[in-house]
Order: sequence, then structure tokens, then C-alpha cells
Amino acid sequence: MVKRKLGALEKVEADLPNLQHKIRRDPKSYIEDFRAQHYQYESHREIFMAAPSSATDTGVISLRDLIDFISHVADCYPGICKDFPQQLIDMLMQHHLVLETELREKLVGSLVLLKKKDLVDSATLLHTLFPILISTPSKTLRALLFQKILSELRTANSKTTNHKLNRTMQTVLFNLVTSDRTSAKGLWAIKITRELWKRQIWTEAKAVEVMKEAALSQNEKVIIGGVRFFLGGDKEREELEDEESDEEVSVGQVKHQLTINKKTRKKARVAEKAIKAVRNKERKKGNPAPLNFSALHLLHDPQGFADNMFFKHLQNGKSKLKLEQKLQVLQLVSRLVGLHKLHIMPLYSYFQKFLTPRQPSVTSFLASLAQASHDLVPPDVLEPLVQKIANEFVSEASAGEVATAGLNAIREICARQPLAIDETLLQDLVMYKKSKDKGVMMASKGLLSLYRDVGAQMLKKRDRGKEAAMSLRAGERQERRYGEQAAGEIEGLELLAKWKDDERRKRNIENGLPSDAEDNEEENDEADWAAWNVEDDDDSDVDGEWINVEEDVDIVLSDSEDEGKPASKKAKQEEEAKKDTEKAAEADKPIDFMKLATTRILTPADLAKLTELRAQAAADATLPGNKGRVAAPWTSRHTDDPLTAGEIEGLAALSAAKATREERIAHAKEGKTDRSEHMSKEARRKERKEEQGKSTTNKEKARKKNFLMTLGKARSKNKRSLVETRAVLRAHVDRGKRGGRRGNVGQ
Amino acid sequence: MGSSSKRKKDKQKDFQKPKLKVGKTKAKPDNYTDTSFKSKSIVLTQQSLHLAAPTSNATFTHNLSLLSAKSDSQRRDSLAYLTTTISSRPVNSPLPQPVSVILPSLLPLILDGTTSVRTQLLKLLRTLPPGDVEDHVAQLLPYVRAGMTHLAADIRSSAVEILSWMIEAAGESTVSCAGGWIKTLNCFLSVLGWHTEESSRWSSSRASFGKAGSQGKPMVKTLGALAGFLDAGIGKPSIGGVDNEISGEDESADWPFPLCQTAQHMISDSSTPFAYLNLFGKPRDEEGEMYETREDRYRVFSTLFHPAIERGLKSAREEGGELGRASSGVSKVLKEAIAYGPGP
Repeated sequence: MVKRKLGALEKVEADLPNLQHKIRRDPKSYIEDFRAQHYQYESHREIFMAAPSSATDTGVISLRDLIDFISHVADCYPGICKDFPQQLIDMLMQHHLVLETELREKLVGSLVLLKKKDLVDSATLLHTLFPILISTPSKTLRALLFQKILSELRTANSKTTNHKLNRTMQTVLFNLVTSDRTSAKGLWAIKITRELWKRQIWTEAKAVEVMKEAALSQNEKVIIGGVRFFLGGDKEREELEDEESDEEVSVGQVKHQLTINKKTRKKARVAEKAIKAVRNKERKKGNPAPLNFSALHLLHDPQGFADNMFFKHLQNGKSKLKLEQKLQVLQLVSRLVGLHKLHIMPLYSYFQKFLTPRQPSVTSFLASLAQASHDLVPPDVLEPLVQKIANEFVSEASAGEVATAGLNAIREICARQPLAIDETLLQDLVMYKKSKDKGVMMASKGLLSLYRDVGAQMLKKRDRGKEAAMSLRAGERQERRYGEQAAGEIEGLELLAKWKDDERRKRNIENGLPSDAEDNEEENDEADWAAWNVEDDDDSDVDGEWINVEEDVDIVLSDSEDEGKPASKKAKQEEEAKKDTEKAAEADKPIDFMKLATTRILTPADLAKLTELRAQAAADATLPGNKGRVAAPWTSRHTDDPLTAGEIEGLAALSAAKATREERIAHAKEGKTDRSEHMSKEARRKERKEEQGKSTTNKEKARKKNFLMTLGKARSKNKRSLVETRAVLRAHVDRGKRGGRRGNVGQ
Repeated sequence: MGSSSKRKKDKQKDFQKPKLKVGKTKAKPDNYTDTSFKSKSIVLTQQSLHLAAPTSNATFTHNLSLLSAKSDSQRRDSLAYLTTTISSRPVNSPLPQPVSVILPSLLPLILDGTTSVRTQLLKLLRTLPPGDVEDHVAQLLPYVRAGMTHLAADIRSSAVEILSWMIEAAGESTVSCAGGWIKTLNCFLSVLGWHTEESSRWSSSRASFGKAGSQGKPMVKTLGALAGFLDAGIGKPSIGGVDNEISGEDESADWPFPLCQTAQHMISDSSTPFAYLNLFGKPRDEEGEMYETREDRYRVFSTLFHPAIERGLKSAREEGGELGRASSGVSKVLKEAIAYGPGP
């Protein structure tokens, strides 16, 4: 039935909002009126329950209005309304399929309102809304419910983490996903979990478990939802965090505007809110950053999960996933394998049939293969794959892009498992560094420089390079054998050891001892223990650095000429002995600084120095004049980061035909995104001022003034008599003295 | 002058007279919308052409459907038509449509916003045969209760009028149907404002909300209805009723010898003889329960409502005037009921 149009009089007579307003102010006096309305609600409800599907229009006031009214004032009369929430829940749960849309939405909204008033607890609310979300066929209702559920979970976790609620909700979601693996209803679990993960409300293993079950379901949508979460959920989370921290509210500006603009209650509220937000943010800054593990690390039993995924979705002939979806699953599996160093042997033979240039999106397959290889994969499993890539992709006859992709893929595999390639093949591939094609040449050089680092003896002598050849000759570098692990170490410890050594020398020189003398260790130790706290020796640290600079010169001097001065001839003999031992010391060095870690306890002051030195070294490495090679890309990669198809394609763009002018311009512009169109300095300044909401100067106002408005004055100026002109000029001078039209006296 | 002359020209353009020419069609205005359309055929779904005038039965049904019309005058006129049709039908002939068909479209009109519609509705209801109404009391009551607690005073008072009609027409079933006793009494108390001790005092500031009714003394009317309701519910069973029972016994005597108490085994007269079992509805709470015997009703009344009503009556009496007179009618009924006690 069409809604009847209300006359003005009718509105006055049945003015529920007015009554609501009055009740809010004085609940006690209006209890009778409220009771009457509650009875009316009861009778309307009775009418409604008799026939829920037929939306009977009951005159001026509808059930919807009454529900709205009662839910707004329910907190004033808890005695009368004690059954009200339960009634709403029943109405919604039993009849949501047949209810009129508006009434349905009102019911949901009222329940949320009652939750805000603490008449319903959040668990009940969620237990009401969630089943409806899953079962309802109405799209609008689903959207509404989803939004309400999310905001409810967010508010419940806003002050402190509500572990109990989270746990129950996660259990509900888990059951939803596991109970019926073929249904698409698991999507809701994925949506909710992903959203909460993004907002860092859920960061526990249980949420990851829900997603894991989703990825193992039988419905394609659910599978892909789960897989996408693992591949992109953490990145999404980081991006959101960055976005949030970008939002800046300048309190100063808000306060300033408040002093200038008209003072309204709303503006005051806005300012207060801004100040509160800033204060909150500052308080948050003081807190330690929350430890957030990525979803891949929180997985329980990654081997089982990856095995299941592989056999269920990839190896299984019955799986109905499309190629694109299969690729995503493959990406996840290979990332898990690479990250946790898992062993899934059939995975590698699975790759075999996809490694041809004609395979669609083969670069993604190559990237996955590279991700799936790690140093614990047996080389004889990888070797045929590398051989196949080389055969299929890399040849003189193949196109430049194809060869580049193949070489890059081989490099990425070998960076993870250097033993995967045999000597002849490697030497063969390295020959491509002479290729005319730039992309192929770069890729081949990448492979070469990788092997200079990890296995120089496999290269031909002339390819090894100076550094690698020298270290090979010295016997410093040895081929790493399968499964061999580097001894654990503290990053940058050698820097600390070197620094300590320098310090000791300096002290010795100060004390008049030979720089190399083994000084009294105990004293040193005592000094260290004294400097246990970082804060304590902050001042002395600064002083020390200042002294440092001067003494550096001293050292140079003493090393070159005055070495023997404080000491006797004995020292000279020692010096010769020293030169002999120095070479030996070079070789012993790793053991030397390991000794530092094994024999001493590093004080917090030491650790602080260590981080400082590390930062210094990192900064030095990037300096242009630095002799050392810039770190190769494969060393700078974090283990958590995925390998993309784009990286495999590499510089294929270089080997393609020459780009058109437009393409080149677009490429050049890519890097400079925030460059606006060309403008004069003045115009730029004006624009900035306008943006900040500042006013214009008198000059600007005069310039902008409508020409017609100035016309009259200009005309009359021409006709002025001499006396008039004098009066005007005088007045001008006078005004200048007084300080403007209004004058600035007596302010 | 540059811009101003341009503006002048613009202005002139706005008010230019269209030139009309003899023998030419008038130029179309700028905002003309072409509404013509082409269609291969025209189908009129609703059209039914008859040579004969529609039968009275058809008009009746049509008017019944017009009860949900948007305009209030239309609703009122339809009601008037229905009223005259029903009242002018030959004696003892059945209604054009059974009550069970008429009633569902009448019910929402109890809460109608227009006064004239409601008064017309009451007239129509009065023409319905009381025997037929009896079975539909349970449907009527929720609407009446909603009307009694409505924010608009006019709707309240007309709902009270309808209730008094119901008591006249089918008093016994009104008080004994599901939710008919406790819920309706609650509504009475809330209309009169007698729920709590404070609110029932005459000196209390009755911050009653909403506009006072335009017509007459709502309180007096309500008290009259309450008196009738109490009388129907817990009043002393009338002699006629007792007579009936006796005559019922007589009836059993009518059966020939070997049959005794046969009346109990016959098919019941009422339409829903097993309603009290509540086989198909929701489980009822105390308020929604059926109180079929006077004894039950009296028990509920004395525990829940007696003090409140006594208190309210006392304050009404103190107020004096017409209200006091009306309250004395209620007190009389109450006194008789109490004198009769919980029953024989």
C-alpha cells in the first residue's frame, strides 16, 4: 500500500519526536505517556505478529515509528522496556524474510542503538545479526548488516581488546567456514576477517586459522578469498596504517580560524575534536609499536597447509579453478615453501609442463618457481627445471623478452639455491653478456655478478673479476655445500669489534703504551660495566666523539713516524713481528669478532653503538664515491616480500622496439608525480594562500575590483579643481600620520 | 558601456514577443516536451464494459476496496455507502459479504487520522449483526487497544466508543478472548492515568502530552466504557444467564430417556471452541492469556487492578462534577462485583 500523506494537523497530534524530546528531558513526568505508547507498541506488535508478511498500514503511526521512539528512550524506563530488545530480536530473526524493507532496517538500527545504550550486550547483538547476514537474500540488508557488524566489532575493541568477544566471533566464523565447505557463505567470514585484519583489530593466529580453512574450502570464491588474504592482507594493513598516519590536523590552524570566524557551537566542537585527535595521536606515539606478525608467519603447521593446498587445488585433476586462480594458489604455495623452507617435491615436477614461452602468463609461473626454491631444495630436483628454462627460453633464436625472462628466472632460482645449475650451462648463459639486446645483456650480467658472489669457481677464469679471483686464490671463499648453514652472527658485530679495537689503540697511545699492547682487560671491562646504561654515558659519549676527531690525526702521525718515540727499541722489534702477524690476523678476523660475541656480554651501550655503526655503514654504502659495489638487489630483498612476474620480465622493456615519443614522455613523467603545471612564483604563492584559507591583501583586492566600480572615481579625478586635489593630498598625508582610516590610537 | 549593454540585450531576448503569422501553426514553446508515442496496439487490462449496471453486490465489493483509498473523503463516502447498504437490506437476509471479509478492511480505519471517517466507521459497526461480531472480537481488540493508547486524543476517544459498542454487542467474548482482560484493563488505566499512585492524584500535574480532544469529555466517556467493561467481566451474572443455565439443563431434559448430558457432546455453537488450548498460536504470557470464567477474571482483577482502580475512583470522586458522577457509575459496578465475591 502506498504511504498516506500526512496532513499538518495529524503530524501535530501524533508527534512522537516531540514526546521523545520531552521524555529525554524529564523522564519521570512523562512516564504515563510513555506507558501509553508502550501499550500501543504492544498492540501494534500483536497486529503485526498476526500477519507479519502483509504490511498493513495502520493510520497515522506505524510500528516502525513506535519502535524507533521506544528504542530512543528505552534507557529512561528500563523496567517497562525490559522485554523490548528480546522482542525486536525475535521479530527480526523469525520474520526477516518477509518483513517490509524499511521496518527491517529500522529493527536493525534500533538493535544497534540499544547496544549503544547498553540494553543489549554485543555478543547477543552479533549472534542476532550474523545469522541473518548469512541467510538473507536481500542485498541491501546484507550491506547494512555487514557494516553494523563491523562497526560493532570495532567499537567493542576500541578501548581495549575485547578478547572474549573476538574469540567467540572467530569461533563462529571458523565454524561457518568449516561446516559446509562447498557453500559460498564462507565469503562473509573472509570479508569480516580481512576487514578486521586490515584495521589491526584482529592480529591473532585464530583469525589466520579462519583464513586457512577458507583457502582449503571447495568453493572457488572462498578459496580465492582466502588465498588473496594471505598474498595481500598484510600489505593492505600496512598501507592503511600509513594512510592513517598521513592524516594531519593542524591544531594551530583550527584555533586560528576559531578566533576569526563566527563562533558557533559546531565550530567549537570541531576544534575540540581536532585537539582531542591530536592528543590521542601523541599518546599513541609514546606507546611502543604493536608487534604485528604477518599472516604467513602466524600459520600453524605451514607444511601441512601448503601440502593440502597443492594436492587439493593444483595437483588434483578435479579442481575447477581457472588458470588465473590457479596461479594465485601457486603463488601462495610457493611463497610458503620459500618462506618456511618447506619440502613439497611434487611441486617442482608440476612446474615442468608450464615452462614454455607459449604458456599464458609464464612469467608468473617462473616467479613462483623462483619463490619456491630455497637452499634446502635438493639441487637435482631443480636442475632439470633450470635446464628446461635454458633450453626453452634462452637461445640466440628466441626473442629478447623471452630470453630476458628466462635468464632472470634462472638468476632468481640460483640466488636461492646456487647449486641448481651446472658449470657448463652457467658458462654458456654468461656468454650472453655480449648480446646485442640490452635486456638480455643486463640479465646475463646479473647472473654473472651473482655467481661472482656465491660460486666464483664455477665461472671461467676471465669472468671471475678481480675481487672474486683474489679471494679464491687466498682460499677465503669456499663453495657452500648442500644444506650447509652459515654460522649465526650478530649483524654488524665486526664493525663493533673494529671500533673497539680502534678505541683500545687510542687509549693505549694516550697512556703511552704501544698501540698494539694487550692492555689490562679487567680495567676495560670495568669501564664497560660502568657504562652499562646508555643514558648514563650520553654526555661522555658526545665528548668522546669530539675528542675522536682530533685524535684521528694523532693516530696517523704516530703510525707513520713517531711510533717508536714512547717505546724503546724493543717496540721496533715488536713492530716487525706485528707485520708478520697482521696477515694471519686478516684470516683470523671472523673468528676474532665472533670472540667478542662469545666471550663478553654486550652492554646496552654497546648495542646502541652497534646500531649507530650499522646505520653509518649503510649510509656509507650508498655514497657515490664508494669503492664497494652497490649491494645486489637479491641481497636487499626482505624474505617476506613476494617475487613478482614484473621482476622476472625485468628490463624486457629495453629489448622491445624503440618506444614512441608519447611513451617516452609518459615514462619520464612516471617518476615525477607531484609536479603540477607550470606557474609563476606569485601565482603559486597565491594558490597556497587560498588553500590555507587566508585573506587577500588590499592590493589584491584593488586589482580584482570590478572595472565599472572604479570608473566613476577615475572620471571625477580628472575633473578635480586644484583646491580639491590639495585637500585630497593633505588628507592622504594626514591619514598616513594617523595610521590608517581608523587610526591605531587608543587601541 | 560594454557589459551593461550586453546585459540589456540579454534581457530583451528574454521578453521578446513571438511573432505570430496568419495561416501558420503557433510556434512550440522552448520547454515543449514531445509526449506523443507510437504503439502497434493498445491493451486495456482493467477495462470491463458492461451494458447492465453493476450489481449491488459488485458495488459493495468495490466500495469495500475503496476503504484503503488515499483521500479521506473517499474513505468516508465508501463507509457511508456500506452502512446504508447493510442497514437497508431486507430483514433477516444475509450480509452482501460475510463479516470475516468486511472486517479486515475496516480494522485499520479504527486508527484513521480523520475524525469523520472514524465516526462513520462506528456507525457501520453498529449496523453489523452482533452475533457475527462475537467471533471476530479477538481481531478487533488489538486495534481498539492501539487506538486507546494513541497519541491523538480524538482517536483515543473514538476507540473507547468502539470498545463500548463491542461490550454491548459481545460483552462476554470481549472480556474472555486472548489478552482481552488484562491488556485492555491496562489500556484503561493508562488512558485514565491511574497506573501509579502519584499520577492518579487529582492535584498531580498531569503533564499529559498531545492535544486535548476536540470533542467532549473523554474522561467521562472512558469511565462509562470502563463501567460497562467491568460489568461484563466481573459483574454479577445476570438472571438471564442463570436462566440460560437452567434452561440448558432443561434442554438436556428434552432428550429422550437413555440420552443424558448429550448437549455436552454436540458440536459447539461458537466458531472456535478450542481456542483456549492455543494449539497453533504462540505461547501466551500472563497478559495475553484467556480468562474465560468470571472466577479467573475476578482473581486477576483483585490482585492486579483493584487497588489502582479504587485509588483512581477516589480521586475522580474528589474531583466532582461530571467526572465524579461518571465515577460513581463505575463504583457501583465495582461494589456489586465485590459483594458477589469470587463467585458461587
